[in-house]
Amino acid sequence: MAQLDTGGGAQGGKGKKRAKKASTAIDMTPMVDLAFLLLTFFVLTSTFSKPKVLRMIFPEKIDKNDPAMKAPEVKNGLTILLTGDNKIYYYKGSLKPETELIETDYTKDGIRKVLVESNLDLLTQLKGFQEELNKIDEKDTAKTNAINAQVTQAQKDSKLVVLLKHDKKATYGNVIDIMDEFLIAQVAKYFKVDDDMAELEKKLIADYQSRG
Amino acid sequence: MPKVKMPKSSPSLDMTPMVDLAFLLVTFFMLTSSFKAPEPVMVDPPASTTEAEIPKQVFLVAIDPSGRVFVDITNNAVKTQVLTKLLASKKLGLEGQDLNKLVGAGPLGMSIKQFPEYAALESSEREAFNQSVRGIPYDTTSDVAKIKASELYLWAYHARLEAHNDFTAREEEAKKRNLDFDKSQYMQFAIKADFDVPYTLVEKVINVFRQAQVKQFQMITDLEDTPEI
Repeated sequence: MAQLDTGGGAQGGKGKKRAKKASTAIDMTPMVDLAFLLLTFFVLTSTFSKPKVLRMIFPEKIDKNDPAMKAPEVKNGLTILLTGDNKIYYYKGSLKPETELIETDYTKDGIRKVLVESNLDLLTQLKGFQEELNKIDEKDTAKTNAINAQVTQAQKDSKLVVLLKHDKKATYGNVIDIMDEFLIAQVAKYFKVDDDMAELEKKLIADYQSRG
Repeated sequence: MPKVKMPKSSPSLDMTPMVDLAFLLVTFFMLTSSFKAPEPVMVDPPASTTEAEIPKQVFLVAIDPSGRVFVDITNNAVKTQVLTKLLASKKLGLEGQDLNKLVGAGPLGMSIKQFPEYAALESSEREAFNQSVRGIPYDTTSDVAKIKASELYLWAYHARLEAHNDFTAREEEAKKRNLDFDKSQYMQFAIKADFDVPYTLVEKVINVFRQAQVKQFQMITDLEDTPEI
């Protein structure tokens, strides 16, 4: 760039005197440095994904003294009990003193398998609907709506009812994890029970844990 | 013997394409990035597979690992109104700039009485202050009267009311000007709780909101891949 012209004088008088050629290149190094600095900064600070949300709906609180507000008995139910140390217990059917608790965990072979197996009826139905949806033209709104109505009906008719209860030791993460498992297994009817676990359920857990 | 001359090759290479690319990336990141709002509390939310994105207008309830409750409202107009109402309920008042400072201060986790003190702080002093606050007070009993007297209930109550007023005002404004109005712009309540917070605590906070007729919550989670079943 900035070079001294040293060769010119030694060649004798023959050469023509030329106008000095000014270089058009400018040193871009500082600019490039800055560009990369900014690039690194934005790459490191930018957050791409917006946070995701899981919607939960809490119905009106019921008055327990109202005799009309008696909790319905769930027959074909699966009750999930969440407790401390990331432990899950569940039982099928209604609660009796002789009910056997089964222990499971949050892995994919744990509670997910239980839910998927219990919900197999609905899952196969939904899969069928999804295949139908894939086959038809997206723009065919009449057919799409018809299938969606069938999906809603199938969810309504689903026999599986899952109740979720927790005790004082269960964490928020545990509850969200289970809610997420309900979504994954596409359980149509699940309820988060407001009250604490029943005394009998607490006793069953204590018995289970003392057995080791 | 003459010396073998090494072919003179220029040590500089053409960096133009690389620079082009660098600037392209800089521009991309500058335009797409949105900065994380400063958070007074570190909350590590659990992960879920839902893909629903957080609504634009939220009343955010953050519960940190020690159980302190912080709230924030994304719509500044609503937040200003709510803060004014809250201060008035304790016979306090903040004027113009102080109120604006409080609105711009991000999530709040202190009792209403401490609002003027917090508004007067410099932004550098806020972090230390937030470390010392005990979160928004709320009643942990199931006594309805006590819950309704708690400050968290006041927050929920006024926020719901002001959000509704703000929504109808914007809707009318849009109608007057014959513009399309996005109905999804209604404020929703979102909870961001730490993974390790006991659920009973979250439930108690939710119960306060249920008393204020808030029934739907968006639980903020990190994204997790949907597994095959």
